[in-house]
Amino acid sequence: MHSIYNFATGPLCWAAFIIFIGGLLLKFISMVRRARSSEPYIFGYFSPYFGLRSVIAWLIPFVPRNGKLNPVFTVVTFAFHICLLVAPLFLMAHVMLLQEGVGMHWGTLSDATADVMTVIVLVGLAYFAYRRCTDPTAKYVTGPKEWVLLALVAAPFLTGFLAYHQIFDYQVMVVLHILSGEAMLIAIPFTWLSHMLLFPMVRMYQGSEFGGVRHVKDW
Amino acid sequence: MKKTILLTLLAVAASLLYLLPAFCQEDMRVIEPTAFENPQRPAAVFNHDAHNEKAGIEGDCYLCHHSEGKPDPDNTSEGTPCSDCHAVKAEKGKTGLMQAYHKMCQDCHQAKGKGPIACGECHVRN
Amino acid sequence: MSEQTKETKVIEDIGIDAGLEQLTEEQIEKTIMSVINAEGGTRLEAYTKTCVHCGLCSEACHYYHSHDKDPQYAPVGKVRNTMWNFLTKKGKISKEELKRAVLIAHTECNLCRRCVQYCPFGVDTAYIIALVRRIVHKLGITPQYIQDTAHSHAATFNQMWLKDDEWVDTLFWQEDEARDEIPSMRIPLEKEGADFMYSVIAPEPKFRTQLIYQAAVIFNECGLDWTMPSTTGWDNSDMCMFTGDFEMMGRLKRDHYECAQRLKVKKVVMGECGHAYRSIYDQGNRWVGWRDMPVPVIHSIQFFWELLKAGKIKVAKTIDKLATFHDPCNTVRGMGLHEMGREVAKAFYPNFVEMQPNREHNYCCAAGGGVINCGPPHKMTRVLGNRVKAEQLKATGAEVLIAPCHNCHGGLEDIIHHYKLDMEIRFLGDIIYECMEKPNAV
Repeated sequence: MHSIYNFATGPLCWAAFIIFIGGLLLKFISMVRRARSSEPYIFGYFSPYFGLRSVIAWLIPFVPRNGKLNPVFTVVTFAFHICLLVAPLFLMAHVMLLQEGVGMHWGTLSDATADVMTVIVLVGLAYFAYRRCTDPTAKYVTGPKEWVLLALVAAPFLTGFLAYHQIFDYQVMVVLHILSGEAMLIAIPFTWLSHMLLFPMVRMYQGSEFGGVRHVKDW
Repeated sequence: MKKTILLTLLAVAASLLYLLPAFCQEDMRVIEPTAFENPQRPAAVFNHDAHNEKAGIEGDCYLCHHSEGKPDPDNTSEGTPCSDCHAVKAEKGKTGLMQAYHKMCQDCHQAKGKGPIACGECHVRN
Repeated sequence: MSEQTKETKVIEDIGIDAGLEQLTEEQIEKTIMSVINAEGGTRLEAYTKTCVHCGLCSEACHYYHSHDKDPQYAPVGKVRNTMWNFLTKKGKISKEELKRAVLIAHTECNLCRRCVQYCPFGVDTAYIIALVRRIVHKLGITPQYIQDTAHSHAATFNQMWLKDDEWVDTLFWQEDEARDEIPSMRIPLEKEGADFMYSVIAPEPKFRTQLIYQAAVIFNECGLDWTMPSTTGWDNSDMCMFTGDFEMMGRLKRDHYECAQRLKVKKVVMGECGHAYRSIYDQGNRWVGWRDMPVPVIHSIQFFWELLKAGKIKVAKTIDKLATFHDPCNTVRGMGLHEMGREVAKAFYPNFVEMQPNREHNYCCAAGGGVINCGPPHKMTRVLGNRVKAEQLKATGAEVLIAPCHNCHGGLEDIIHHYKLDMEIRFLGDIIYECMEKPNAV
């Protein structure tokens, strides 16, 4: 237990975060550099005002028309993404580890709140899976990759939930939790999970074009 | 008649429950400082005597019950609650209570390569 | 899949079929990959990598709604069967797949960009499909009819094979006709330093000369200082933009702007056309290297609105019939002219009803984006592919449909005819001409 736990929370954890943050950073830099050489005019039309206007509009539930047309999806996706980001970042156990490991710390959620949020993440993923089986278009463009990625996101939350409640063997579960969390982080820069970076980039560009050039809203 | 006997038995059982903490004090099974308000996890399991026997530190009280500075056999702090020095909310330059506990257990376990280190290994749910 | 093959068999287009016969698999692979590598760029990467395959874009597409939610017609479904296929197979695709891709890119997508407003990330499916058309162009398998218009652009700098003298002759003819009505009427040719140059699309002199007549009457009665060129550059249309012949698109726009610069006009006013506007302010200018428009270009919708607000166009009569307004993609998602268009329409048709959805969320006509220009072989693709438009129109109960775009007119006409809707389609200029005060008329 000691060696595998220490390896997972030590070097592997560092590696995962370096790949996750470094990968996204490199992606950002390489895309901007490539755009500068191949499509430099993108920057000529880039407008922080219209770009942010579009991003913000899409970050408010039920503002975009498509959000209004898909109320269940809107509620689920907002709840899911908020919980997905907030629960792990402000989970007391994570902040404790960080504080004891590198000395950084910030506010935490109560365990009960984090527990509910974890369930919301899992319910959200279950809904996405259900939708991929039933919505004709989603089904049409869902392949093995989509299922793997859904599972990859579900794994750390499911194992985290089971470890927290000490269901099944705790030691196995906590190690699985750490490993699956790291696997998810590593996957982000290399898969469509990178939409966490590309969403604001693409939306800001599109918002600039729609707002600045075409004088119309894009939501 | 039967009802009365049942009620009496229940009352006895209930009063016995209140005795449990008293037993624990005799034979320490958990670390449950009262300083924490609204604790988020179950108290850490700690069988004081069994732990010390297993770890071979019976009599070396100073290793855990330290005073200021390095552990010193001549300067120990048994009987003083940890929270007397380690405030729940860490004061500047001092270790907070929760961290003090975590550090005390984990550092030693890590150094020896033995004993629990992950959250749920100490904060066991029943 | 059976449905796909069926369609591929049914639709014969010599431009696609004869072109495909001449291609080898190596040529196909090489061309696809060279376009993707050289021109795909950051945006293609960003769009394809951002897409989480959620299918929310399907809501945007009129083809999808009209085909009972068949995912092949969802924007992401079309990308799946074109660009994703090219990317995952690294260009090694069969001729059947390629033909399917041509049909999707050229006849099942109008590049209307509605899906950009329905994708949470703003993935520009129209950009991806336009890039597919670029590949199709480089492979020489563009549908015959639209390729013919592109050839016309290349040979004559107008879309309809009009000869230089035919153009000038047509203007003289219309001026002559109009003098019966307004004796002082002029269509000023080559007037240097005029306030504006009026440019049209080639189908106007070819088929719809009355539109030139009507515009000329409006300008004359408003007392405007305007001109039309006698040289190439008079045609602002651009089918090359839609075939992916971007080199030619650039030449056309340069010619158009240089024509305006030669005449030293303050601005260009263009007729009621959607795609030409897109080519002028959004795509053609960029290809040539102009960030914006080197000479300001104003769409008729805006120009008529300005004239109305300035009191130059005076309303002589209004029409009682119930009217509705169709927002063309290139003037609404292209320039946000929806309010201006409505204001002009309502000034003459006070009895007005909105179609649902409307403004920037209006359903496309399914003719734009060069789809109608692919000609008779593909007519039913767009007519059957836009049942939802017919339903949307029917629900208004309107008798008059106002659509300030040529392509929309063509497409809506076919839809009204096929779905047996009893509606009259009108241009703004046509309405204004009929209903404005004409002080010089006899």
